[in-house]
Amino acid sequence: MEELLIVDGVWKKFGDKVVLKNVSLVVHSGEVVGLLGPNGAGKTTLLRIISGVLKPDQGRVSIKGFNPVDSKARALIGFCPQEPGLIADLTGFENMLFYARLQGLDGKSVIKRIKELLEVMGLTKDADRLVRKYSGGMKKKLGLATTLIHDPEILILDEPTTGMDPGVRREVWRIIEEERERGKGILIATHYMEEADALSDRVYIIDQGRIIASGSPEELKSKYAPSSVIIVEFYKQPRDLEGVLQKTGLKYIVDGDKVRIHSSDPDRDVPGIVALIHEEGGTIKTLHVAKPTLEDVFLKLTGRRIE
Amino acid sequence: MKWYRIKAFIVSGVKTTFREKSAIFWIFIWPIILVLMTAYVFIPPSAGQPVTLDLGVVNNDHSKAPFNGTAFIDVLEKIEYNGTKLFNVKIYDNETKLVDDLRKGRLDAGIVIPDGFGENITYTQARLTIYVSGGSIYSIQVNRAVMSEFLHFFSINVGLKKIEMTMKYMNMSYVPANMTTQGPWGNKSFIEFLEEYFKGLVLPVNATIIEETPEALSYRPAIVGWYVLGALGMMMLYSGFLVGAVAVVEEKERGSLERILSTPASETDMLIGKTVAGLVVLTLSSIAIIVTGVFVAGAKITWNPFEITDWLVPLNLILIGLMTIGIGFILSLLSKTSRGASSIATTIGLLLAFTAGIWFPKEWMPGPMRFLADIFPVTWALDTIRDIIVYNIGFNEAIVGTIRNIVVTTLIFMAGIMAYKKVIRKYVEQ
Ligand SMILES: Nc1ncnc2c1ncn2[C@@H]1O[C@H](COP(=O)(O)OP(=O)(O)O)[C@@H](O)[C@H]1O
Ligand SMILES: [Mg+2]
Repeated sequence: MEELLIVDGVWKKFGDKVVLKNVSLVVHSGEVVGLLGPNGAGKTTLLRIISGVLKPDQGRVSIKGFNPVDSKARALIGFCPQEPGLIADLTGFENMLFYARLQGLDGKSVIKRIKELLEVMGLTKDADRLVRKYSGGMKKKLGLATTLIHDPEILILDEPTTGMDPGVRREVWRIIEEERERGKGILIATHYMEEADALSDRVYIIDQGRIIASGSPEELKSKYAPSSVIIVEFYKQPRDLEGVLQKTGLKYIVDGDKVRIHSSDPDRDVPGIVALIHEEGGTIKTLHVAKPTLEDVFLKLTGRRIE
Repeated sequence: MKWYRIKAFIVSGVKTTFREKSAIFWIFIWPIILVLMTAYVFIPPSAGQPVTLDLGVVNNDHSKAPFNGTAFIDVLEKIEYNGTKLFNVKIYDNETKLVDDLRKGRLDAGIVIPDGFGENITYTQARLTIYVSGGSIYSIQVNRAVMSEFLHFFSINVGLKKIEMTMKYMNMSYVPANMTTQGPWGNKSFIEFLEEYFKGLVLPVNATIIEETPEALSYRPAIVGWYVLGALGMMMLYSGFLVGAVAVVEEKERGSLERILSTPASETDMLIGKTVAGLVVLTLSSIAIIVTGVFVAGAKITWNPFEITDWLVPLNLILIGLMTIGIGFILSLLSKTSRGASSIATTIGLLLAFTAGIWFPKEWMPGPMRFLADIFPVTWALDTIRDIIVYNIGFNEAIVGTIRNIVVTTLIFMAGIMAYKKVIRKYVEQ
């Protein structure tokens, strides 16, 4: 596995506000790396630095040994911002050709490639319609297609499925997985743990400009989360919720009107929890035991929810 | 490789312009409307042509003299000026009806010929009553001028005719012998002198008034040509401003700016591509305006591909395009949205078009504003073009102006590039 992208000790300030603090990460060929963090964590800023749009204040980015502002580096990456940057008064096909030409490609072979990509995205019959008339999901898919036009070795995708309905989201995931199979290195910024969980080989968790954990989703869960999570939702909360939870002797997080209690043995812990809630006058609406998610990892690390 | 990147911006720039209705209106439809209005409303085809007045005549003359009221009416009906009849004569049987029609605007002027007109004009002094209709400030002046010019001319001719008749009967037997020996008549005969003396009584000063307007402005096709170039200049101003002012902010708003900057295409590729796209659109619009001007509005615009001087015209057009796009880049510093940028561009463009000698001749402007026209380089380049194709100045004069225009265009465009780069940095960093 070749190291395609290396970010090493990057700092970035906007005015007085430090947005990235000593961020380092690596993306290898043939892997999907998730950059998971809440809104405002600094994901987009990091992606813009990697794509050469912004310069870091300190630290270094290397794309197969090239600086991102070098046009050789730019030919290696495909960057799709959250707003994919389509031109509404051009057709889907014309947008593809526009981005192909920006990569220095034109002519017959490109037209063939454009047709293939539009086919993969299921946009063939809309190729000659103005993008102005496209739905949000179609625009996202076309944006991804324009990013793939020059078959880049490194894909940098900012929130690739935000605002998509689940069907389209699964299609996009499939396309990303296919690119991984073809040996591409893919970096995805997202605030959906489900997405990070489903797609990523490795995840970097970013919060307030700092990478606070990294590893495969399984590693992160086993390191920072218990084997099970007991999730309780109330009709009526017990009088002293915090007191009740402390009596269980387990780690817990209050998340709105739900409570997530980390447990290594739910068979043992559930009856006691139920009894304590009733003693304090609470009534339970739902109670279920689930596998932990990356959200639990994030909660464990920061004490906050990710969204 | 690099060419494809520039081509990407040219193709997308031209296509999106043609797909946007408001751009089509401002860049193509509005200037063509201006050209057509110039030709048919501001300077109608009849402008500069002699007018024909509707003239009512009441003839009360019953005299037997050879030149009587009827003969006079015959003159009125036949008189022409530059091949156009001066009067459209309508006979009335009484003055009341004539005045009534004048009041109703059916006549431009009226003449009442009194009884005895024929005898009086032959032997003493004739009288006429003239009415002039005052339909509007403009028409009363025209009607009055035509009537008084005609009557002045007619009386002089009658006077000269009377002298001619008199001289037929004049011979030396009427003259006392001692009068012929000396006097101011030099080596002319006394009779010849007498004829000159009478002519001097009728027409003491025989003045010739020669109107000396520059050829270019003296006839309609050239005036229309001047305004066609005005419409072209106006279009170049606000459209060029617009192209420059929205170049970066529209990419920012689409979200394509950072995409573009993440590709191997550079800021300079984008600058060149967008400028060329702008020039292509401006050129197509210029062609449409000139073709409409020449073939529909009848403008005199001569362009001869075998004359080097005439090749300075497209060169100066490109300079105007580069200047306005460059100024547009500078204007883009003033706005954060493309809507804001386009209203700033069109407002400033239209204001300058009307005040800086582009549309209205700068001579019409009050002094301080004329200064604006004098220092505005777009006006310089447009005036170079007008000098060449409307006033037909020579190469030596045209090349001096063109070189000056090249120098200022370079300076303006360089300032534009600096503004453009600054705007990109501003948008990327925020
Ligand atoms: N150009 C900028 N100027 C000032 N602050 C910025 C700028 N871009 C981003 N920020 C701030 O930096 C932080 C990180 O933003 P961003 O990278 O967009 O986060 P994310 O993509 O994780 O939501 C946010 O607090 C945001 O307000
Ligand atoms: Mg973001």
